[in-house]
Amino acid sequence: MSKQVLIVDDDPDVRLFNKTVVEESGCTPLEAANGEEGLAILKDQKPDLVILDVLMPRQSGIRLYRELKTDKALKDIPIIILSGIAKKTFLRSQKALTEFGGEAVPEPEVYLEKPVEPEQLAQEIQHMLKS
Amino acid sequence: MDIQTILFVTKFETLWFDALASLLDLRKAALEHVVFLNVIEREKVALHRGRGYQKREEIKLREMANIRFIDWAETLFEQGMEVGAYIVVGNLQQQVIRTSEKENVDLIVIGNEKKKRFELFFSPSDVIEILRRSHKPVLVYKYRGNGGSQENKPFQRPLIATCFSNTMRKVFAYLKKLDRIIEEVTIVHVADPGKLQQGSAMAIQKTRLVTRRKLDEACDELTAAGIRATPKVYVGDPVREIEIAARECNATMIVAGTAHKKTIAERFVGGTPRALVEKSAFPTLLVPPDPDQRKQQPRRSTGGNPPQRRGVTHGI
Repeated sequence: MSKQVLIVDDDPDVRLFNKTVVEESGCTPLEAANGEEGLAILKDQKPDLVILDVLMPRQSGIRLYRELKTDKALKDIPIIILSGIAKKTFLRSQKALTEFGGEAVPEPEVYLEKPVEPEQLAQEIQHMLKS
Repeated sequence: MDIQTILFVTKFETLWFDALASLLDLRKAALEHVVFLNVIEREKVALHRGRGYQKREEIKLREMANIRFIDWAETLFEQGMEVGAYIVVGNLQQQVIRTSEKENVDLIVIGNEKKKRFELFFSPSDVIEILRRSHKPVLVYKYRGNGGSQENKPFQRPLIATCFSNTMRKVFAYLKKLDRIIEEVTIVHVADPGKLQQGSAMAIQKTRLVTRRKLDEACDELTAAGIRATPKVYVGDPVREIEIAARECNATMIVAGTAHKKTIAERFVGGTPRALVEKSAFPTLLVPPDPDQRKQQPRRSTGGNPPQRRGVTHGI
């Protein structure tokens, strides 16, 4: 059975791009348009990998990432962050949330800033699923 | 009612990030989530005869908005805030209402769009329509300096314009939660000069006394909640006097309640809140009545009473 990759992004064009790369990589894509939907699918389907955007309505990728990494059942699912938000901003925001009394979370396994080449994304997907 | 989530509506023409920055002291209360909304009007990408839907133009406008929002979001994310963004093609009023309900926001912040009187006759401003339709408080943000900078924080020294309606309870409940941000509140009632002319000097003084007592009670309520409050009574045209009071008290914002009435006339003949939105130099926070209060609004009498001048009416 092929591995499942959850794509969480509010932009339908980006979801389509990611979906195509995931399918080309021999995996099954699952889609969510925001963090809330993404979390529901994660809990229900427990995919093998998540490709996560940051700036989204309903729940941002920053909060979803934090929820994932502090959930015992989900924290081992690898995550590729794919966003227009800079990595240093993502890390600073996580630090700020930790300072506000949250739990410290590890850095994301892979952080890619948009736009990304399909080959690069495919390579990262393969790498993450193998490891 | 805490202000946890703000919907910040911008066309990038009348409202910029510094406006939002001046509201960030709301974090001391409960603010933790900002939702950006940019609505690309249909006329910009469609409805052009012979050209079809201009997808390229839509992509260009979306990406331009996206670049701004990413920049703004980065600043907020770094402070540990939650941020969301919507860039949609459609009708501004519908999208604001829809997004405010979807995200369950506690405050809608929108810039003031200047329309000419002639244009307003045929198409009331988007802000007024949003006020009519929204169940959420709406802050119509205005820059006070010529250079567009905003030195004051709107919630620092609000002036509440009241006519002692039921909406005042909601306004008070809203402001009491902001005791850590508000320095001082001024509560103003503008008496109708027409009523004063009909009575004797004694009757006029009595009116003033009764009004003042009501204002004192209102101030006591806020003081008990830890907010310093001062009462003021003015007489004359409500909009003009509220504006004068705001200047005299060095207010940072005017707060008024609205009482929605479903008449066609209201769209074209505004009441005090509408006039404040259109004419006042101050940011204006308008608080609508609760939905159940709206249903209880009495129907206009068809008898001899003169019709009220009102759209979104002065109703705190």
